[in-house]
Amino acid sequence: MNVLGELALWIALPVSLWGMVLGFAGGRKQRGDLTLSAERSVYAVFFLTIIASLGVVDAFLNDRFEYWYVANYSSRNLATYFKVSGLWAGQRGSLLFWLLLLSLFATIAVWSNRRKNREFMPYVAGTLLTITSFFLVVLLFADVNPFETLGFTPADGAGLNPQLQNYWMTIHPPTLYLGFTAFTIPFAFAVAALLNGRLDSRWIVLTRKWTLLSWFFLANGIIFGMRWAYEELGWGGYWFWDPVENASLLPWLTATAFLHSIQIQENRGMLKVWNMGLVILTFLLTIFATFLTRSGLIESVHTFAQELKIAFIFLGFMASILMAGLVLVLYRLPKLKSENQIESFVSREAAFVFNNLILLGATFAVMWGTLLPLISEGFTGQEITVGPPFFNRVNLPIGLALLALMGIGPVIAWRRASKKNLKKNFLWPLVVGVVTAAGLWAAGARHGMALLTFGISAFVMAIIVVEFWKGTRARARIEGEGVVKAFYHLVARNRRRWGGYIVHVGVVFVFTAFAAAPWYGEFLQTLEPGETMTAESPLGHTYEMTYEGISTNIRDPDKNLQWQATALVSVRRDGEPLGTFTTEKRRYIRPEAQIVTEVGIKSFPMEDLYIILADADLDRILQGDAGGQAVTFNVLVKPLIAWIWAGGLIITLGSLISMWPSAGAVRAPTAARGRGTTGAEPLPAGD
Amino acid sequence: MALLGALLLVAAVVLFILLPVARGQHASLTREDDEMTEAEARRRVTLLALRDVEYDYHTGKLDEADYMALRKELSAEALAALRAFEGEEGATDVDIEAEIAAVKAGLAAGTTCGACGHRNPDGSRFCAACGQALAAREATPSS
Repeated sequence: MNVLGELALWIALPVSLWGMVLGFAGGRKQRGDLTLSAERSVYAVFFLTIIASLGVVDAFLNDRFEYWYVANYSSRNLATYFKVSGLWAGQRGSLLFWLLLLSLFATIAVWSNRRKNREFMPYVAGTLLTITSFFLVVLLFADVNPFETLGFTPADGAGLNPQLQNYWMTIHPPTLYLGFTAFTIPFAFAVAALLNGRLDSRWIVLTRKWTLLSWFFLANGIIFGMRWAYEELGWGGYWFWDPVENASLLPWLTATAFLHSIQIQENRGMLKVWNMGLVILTFLLTIFATFLTRSGLIESVHTFAQELKIAFIFLGFMASILMAGLVLVLYRLPKLKSENQIESFVSREAAFVFNNLILLGATFAVMWGTLLPLISEGFTGQEITVGPPFFNRVNLPIGLALLALMGIGPVIAWRRASKKNLKKNFLWPLVVGVVTAAGLWAAGARHGMALLTFGISAFVMAIIVVEFWKGTRARARIEGEGVVKAFYHLVARNRRRWGGYIVHVGVVFVFTAFAAAPWYGEFLQTLEPGETMTAESPLGHTYEMTYEGISTNIRDPDKNLQWQATALVSVRRDGEPLGTFTTEKRRYIRPEAQIVTEVGIKSFPMEDLYIILADADLDRILQGDAGGQAVTFNVLVKPLIAWIWAGGLIITLGSLISMWPSAGAVRAPTAARGRGTTGAEPLPAGD
Repeated sequence: MALLGALLLVAAVVLFILLPVARGQHASLTREDDEMTEAEARRRVTLLALRDVEYDYHTGKLDEADYMALRKELSAEALAALRAFEGEEGATDVDIEAEIAAVKAGLAAGTTCGACGHRNPDGSRFCAACGQALAAREATPSS
């Protein structure tokens, strides 16, 4: 199986290159046979990548430590599902995993278009196979072959980094990779449109769902990563502006911009060059994200690789894509002319353009901060790093402007809006926002930026609620439907619009949660068993933590533990018992590099209690010395953390609504339309 | 055994991707009948824009004067798009001429639904296909 797996990669490369050449040639010469061969190459590459991936999984499951990759990322006592997830635990496997997802999506895209949109398909196949070829070259020639052998067979592997042995960590990377790779499909169709000259909105309409799918996975992947950091890293944070976190954020920012700006192209025939630019940029950023994650170029808690050869291959590929994209756009510039002009700066088009500019501003700020260490080292030999304060300071105004636009945009009419109507529409939401901020100020919240965020959040929520209400009311009145039915039909008939608003609600939740950061409280205290410490929350609750004692578990090979020290804490909130919580220090048998802290978390709708075993005399505790049981607890009280996860769920719900296949997307049979008798074909549920 | 498997794999893959070229099997490269042409896409977009203006007006984002002006502009655009659509498809089928003329008339008279493009009988107050209100519309000049 393993030998076959490596062989499959070696077969896949020539197949992929063959299909790439034939795809472009088939499109250029309009040859159906070449195109068919190229499309079959897509399927073949997918099939061969499955075999290769099965080979890696098989090597993990059977503890084949003669392979470098398995020896470094697994061990005999690793749980089975972590062995399976070994496929994406390290650089080598994750590059193969990337290829697997990409070829899966490529296969779906080619197969579902085997009888339609044929004018795009030769170039789509060619573009997709260009990218698979690139990843195959990397896998086979950049010293990252997952099937590379050590030349000897160690008795056991080095084990998986214990911080990666977490539920969220098994699903966070694949989710992000799904998001990264799904965006290749819109990119391929954009390139196909540039090559075949069909530069109306067709390529956008065809790939809208793919864009949404990619965005959906990216958003979820980012939130899963935050969840992992919060639960596993043990310092109570969820975002550290780590290069790899930033790398996943960058394509999400530009994909968000793209999702908004394509609506202008679809509705008004504008921004065609801009959209081409965004789709190329977003694709490049997905590659850039892999590059940052898996090339070892920038120090990061995520990086486990140090090779530079792969960095140059990646840079060369990205530069080529950028050049090719620029040349194609320049070549097609005459056909990418805007069909309309923006009529007024107070119009929804203009709001979308502002939204795009702000998102791109955020993208470049984050990119700059991420790359600065590298650039400064390259030019001056001195590495300058910018920390979270830089990112927070830069992104705070950007985030606030975006938040405000989420409220303003939907209320402004397409083309032009009149002042009178703006006043009418904004008055009450503004009042809601101001009253919210003033009320919180009166309640004792004295933090300007946070109050501004809360105020704008309330404003946006008010606008969205009013939008839903007005739409429902209009529909109920026109149709004579009940409110519930009218609401359902309103959303169902234009899923993209209303799903988008629901996503906005989720984003408001997340932003509101971020703005609670000034109220995070920290309480550090050393306790003897039986002693109690208290923590006051900004919302007026009192938590009493009683240290009940510490238990140890030494040499437990079944659990891969050298030792484990578990502190038991019983907690009361305002005098009411909440139960007992544990927080612990662990050291694994394999790998044994670091001591890991597990935290105890109790989540309420309005705040989280986060108990960290900060310090202890572990030598005496592990020897069972009854006199040395004092430990230091770090107790964090963090308001509104649950709102981040709730916001994430709302974002998921909204994007699912937007993506759900609608009846309007199903095209009527040929006979009923075109030659049409009624002209009754449904319009797409656009906005 | 492994060698045999490998050989079989290579042979199968090579055969699979080479057969179309060797035997001249073709994939289609032309647009199917039921796919939207550029002109048709434009027609749908202009109808969508009409629907949006309608929605913006009903939810109080546009005042009456702007609404009437925009509607007039958009109707003209929709008619231009329909003409282009007609130019692309019209030559093939006589019925289309009549069809498009009817849609044009419907747009002018306000019986063609701005929300879904359905053409309703004269005097309709609501769209028979999607339920959009038609009654409030006043006749707009057709170009």
